[in-house]
Amino acid sequence: MSAVMSARGLTKRYGKSLALDGVDFDIPAGRIVGLIGPNGSGKTTTLKAALGLIPFEGSLTVLGHDPRTERDALMQDVCFIADVAILPRWLKVGDAIDFVAGVHPRFDRKKAERYLAITKLKPEMKVASMSKGMIVQLHLALVMAIDAKLLVLDEPTLGLDIMYRKQFYQNLLEDYFDENKTIVITTHQVEEVEHILTDLMFIREGRIVLAATMDEVGERYTEVMVAADKIAAANGLNPIDQRTVFGKSVMLFDGVARSQLATLGETRNPSVADLFVATMKGSYA
Amino acid sequence: MKTLNWMLRREFWEHKGSLFWAPVVVAAILLFITAASAGYGMLAHNVNVETMVNGRQVHITSFREMPAVMQQGVAQVAANSYLAAAAPLFFMMAFTVFFYCLSALYDERRDRSVLFWKSLPMSDQMTVLSKVLTAAVVAPVITMVTALVMSLALLLIMGAYLAFNGVNLFGLLLATPALYLAPLFLIGILPVYVLWALPTIGWLLMVSSWAKSKVFLWAIGVPLIALVIVKWVDFLITGNQGMNAGLTYFAKEVVNRGLGGLVPGIWFAFSDHTVTMRPGEHGVELGTVFMQSWHTLAAPGVWIGAAVGVAMIFVAIRMRRWRDEG
Repeated sequence: MSAVMSARGLTKRYGKSLALDGVDFDIPAGRIVGLIGPNGSGKTTTLKAALGLIPFEGSLTVLGHDPRTERDALMQDVCFIADVAILPRWLKVGDAIDFVAGVHPRFDRKKAERYLAITKLKPEMKVASMSKGMIVQLHLALVMAIDAKLLVLDEPTLGLDIMYRKQFYQNLLEDYFDENKTIVITTHQVEEVEHILTDLMFIREGRIVLAATMDEVGERYTEVMVAADKIAAANGLNPIDQRTVFGKSVMLFDGVARSQLATLGETRNPSVADLFVATMKGSYA
Repeated sequence: MKTLNWMLRREFWEHKGSLFWAPVVVAAILLFITAASAGYGMLAHNVNVETMVNGRQVHITSFREMPAVMQQGVAQVAANSYLAAAAPLFFMMAFTVFFYCLSALYDERRDRSVLFWKSLPMSDQMTVLSKVLTAAVVAPVITMVTALVMSLALLLIMGAYLAFNGVNLFGLLLATPALYLAPLFLIGILPVYVLWALPTIGWLLMVSSWAKSKVFLWAIGVPLIALVIVKWVDFLITGNQGMNAGLTYFAKEVVNRGLGGLVPGIWFAFSDHTVTMRPGEHGVELGTVFMQSWHTLAAPGVWIGAAVGVAMIFVAIRMRRWRDEG
């Protein structure tokens, strides 16, 4: 299976500042990839480049197309939610469904109506009169009913309350995702997506600093609750991060055998959030 | 084709107020005023009062004494120029389409909904084309249909009023070919309108796709400032000799074509032809207007303008393709 998205030396400059600095990555089909990085790290720029929304340097292929020159062909198979609340205010729910059904050959009207049936949305409602959560529900109903090969979600749940967020990811996993589809998500709320991701990409200052499957991450990184008398020994193994929880030292190790670490104290898989914080240390310094 | 159809519908949904309701409401108001006046007239007749018209004592029922030839004349004038009553609708259309074009590619960037439209398989060419068609064809056709319905209703009111006063013109009216030809002439002028409107539509769409804010100021300000600069240059070159290099004239021509193209009939301002108005005889004959409108296409200016308009539409398409919404 060839890569759904493949970048080589992907570079984007905004004036003098370098938003993407020669990024290389490959995203295979059938994965759910979390593209995670602090503000201004180049997440959105990467996605915009992939969607053909901005010009860039280097090479980038998405589903075999160059997004710069073949955007119209690309959009037959790609869908994205760029941001919440970008549906135009004058749009009515019923018109929105009619419209997308009219212009998108891969839109399944029944599916969209099924999603809407479990919400409070009515065909006569206008976006202007809807709450942010409802707008996202509508947008989601439209997008999830499109049988796209690649779905790109840029901060899809920004500004939503926890109920909507949970429901969003549940629908995504249960009703939408299958082995023929690929999803790329960027978000700040790492904790909420970590259990649905199959792959992780950390981006920092325009560079990919970590690209691995969740399984690899689990093998590579270990968190240890170090016993008080083993701290010196633990420090000798070069932990990449260290913090104190209830008076106990918690250390994060990269590429140290788990059997070896087990002698220092209780081991476990680090959360993506902890890994993120450790990797991004000094980003804002 | 199917996609374009849906995109035109989308434009209509978004701008239903200015494209559809505005002409319909204005037409309804005009009709209401006319009907109310006629109704009042009829009531007044019932009371059978003498009235003063232009300082002359006229009896309301004097229509009865109208000679047959004169009746013929009235019917002719009415059949020829009943659509002229809808002129306010067409001028309003020039305004609404002007602002429609200005906001067409700007509003979607401002509310970021452009990102939603771009997430669907609709090319930028198709999107901009749907907006051009809405401005150049959909809006004028809606206005024409409204104008036709309103004008016919006005004719009906007028006829009823006259009939009430004992002069039945309906037979004469229905026998006048001009009555039926008028709508055909009106539709027949549409291609001329489109060609003359293209430079304005192109300019406004280009500004709309490019300006970060204050689209109106850019659209009007740039040409005006350009005009002032040209005048100044013109003065520097020739002012001392009291001669005119024609630069100012040329710039004015460009600006007028660029900003005024949406006004129906603007083409008469740029041609030697003037509409022959013979109020004494048959009113403004739409057939003559039609012929003279097509005649303006013989001058090269309109084609150059249309070509420049199309070029600016292409710039707008490129702009929409690569504009980064931040």
